[in-house]
Amino acid sequence: MQTKIVSKNFEIPLSHTIDVALKNGRYSSLEATFSKKPQEIIDIIKQSNLRGKGGGGAPAGGKWQLASDYEGTKYLVVNADESEPGTFKDRRILSLDPHLLIEGIIATCYAIGSHTSYIYVRGEYEEFSDITQSAIDEAYEKNFLGSNAKYRVDITIHRGAGAYICGEKSALLESLEGKRGHPRLKPKSPEPEFYFGEPTLVNNVETIASVPFIIKNGADAYRAYGTEQSPGTLLFAISGNVNTPGVYEAEFGVSMMEYINKLGGGVKNGKKLKAVIPGGASTPIIPADMVESARLDYESLRGLGSSLGTGGMIVLDEDASMVKALKNLLRFYHHESCGQCTPCREGTSWVDKIMNKFVEKRATKEDLQILKSVSKTMNGKTICVFAPAASGVIDGFLKHFESEFLECIK
Amino acid sequence: MSFSYNIQNRSKIELLEKRYPDKRALILPLLWLAQKQESYIREDAMQYISEIVELPYMNIYSVATFYTMFRLEKTNKRIIEVCRTLSCELNGSEEIKKHLDDNYSEDFEILEVECMGACSGAPMCTLDGKYIENLTPQMIDEVLNAN
Repeated sequence: MQTKIVSKNFEIPLSHTIDVALKNGRYSSLEATFSKKPQEIIDIIKQSNLRGKGGGGAPAGGKWQLASDYEGTKYLVVNADESEPGTFKDRRILSLDPHLLIEGIIATCYAIGSHTSYIYVRGEYEEFSDITQSAIDEAYEKNFLGSNAKYRVDITIHRGAGAYICGEKSALLESLEGKRGHPRLKPKSPEPEFYFGEPTLVNNVETIASVPFIIKNGADAYRAYGTEQSPGTLLFAISGNVNTPGVYEAEFGVSMMEYINKLGGGVKNGKKLKAVIPGGASTPIIPADMVESARLDYESLRGLGSSLGTGGMIVLDEDASMVKALKNLLRFYHHESCGQCTPCREGTSWVDKIMNKFVEKRATKEDLQILKSVSKTMNGKTICVFAPAASGVIDGFLKHFESEFLECIK
Repeated sequence: MSFSYNIQNRSKIELLEKRYPDKRALILPLLWLAQKQESYIREDAMQYISEIVELPYMNIYSVATFYTMFRLEKTNKRIIEVCRTLSCELNGSEEIKKHLDDNYSEDFEILEVECMGACSGAPMCTLDGKYIENLTPQMIDEVLNAN
């Protein structure tokens, strides 16, 4: 069931070192890269329909084109601020195959005409970003990077310092500019992001790590995996009440239940499945009966009223308290709100406090109405999607498990 | 004694200055270096950084207080951070936190933190920033007694 494109070298001992990486195919796509014009590379990425793997799922080729169309200085920023609960896939690439990421960065910079790339790594990943830094140093020594390379690229690791919102691309750029990580207003028409006023492409680690395979093997080879609208593979992650939690790459479109049972090892302690949060904490929960029909692609999960997100599944067994689980997640949202927008700053605080009453079984009917009302107020009235995500989480729990919340009303 | 970076950090800063198009981008790296050097960020370190990046002190203070990993107060204790987010809670992080509080709070600063990106190793914590996963109370005893 596993399909290894990005994770092909994960099991190889010392795969993060350049000698082992070179023996196992790393940097072998660069010949194909430099034999083509930059626009040809962008066209291949468009034809492959590679979708951003950080959670949004937007077509990567379109973003590349937007950045490429500008003249002058441009930047590539790799988003390694992996802070979504349930998501821990990019950490595998950073620590097990950083040369794949570097190879992808070189090709992407060449395609869009950039010579400077930053990898924005979440602060907590210090030991994993140190491994990536060693790989970057090795790549400089071997002239894959720097001014003696065939195409000059400089990579700098920029370490965040503990703010979930910096995974949002515009907040990430604010942070990279040396400011508080506050998301920016979005433009009406598509345009690239800007770093110190210069056009900038922001892509997730796994998205960039998928590029060498596509350039080397062609768009059709990538589209041979997955579904028509969600081609290729994803490093799905699975955790919670399962026997073998981990990161296992699979094609888009595989059955969620089969993934849980075959790769996740099934529900722990022989218990029954109660629900799954399918793609990181921000994606609405789906109950077991819906999991039966769910497939791991963007379209299937949207059809079930949820979202694929980062592909980081959290599995809850029959004993899990949905009230306690929602309380846990809303405390997270309260803690991580950047505070810029009032509906988010105040709303996440309010719902977190209300959940204390439910957990302690002293809530009233009015509290349930307030919870729903504040959730509605948070949705669609803020600069970024953090508050709408919190709202979707609340609505998902109440839609499928309201009876458990009613049991907590005194 | 007023703050200054040591020789090793000064050479790192020289290299970093070439990597960014604007000095302002140095704020986070400089805060990290100051924290690494002194174990926390002193007020005069922020003053010093403001001179390097040529921005008012307020800008540095504003950034230092936004990010949860920057420490503005000195601690003499070693730090343990226990992840409390959902996958860890489902796998017993509350029991781990209680065990730590009951047995190690005199010698360690024990904090609860949000998701650390180690959900497959739940429950987990960090000791001085290093990840320790698949925790049990027995394992904590072994690790902390060995360290």
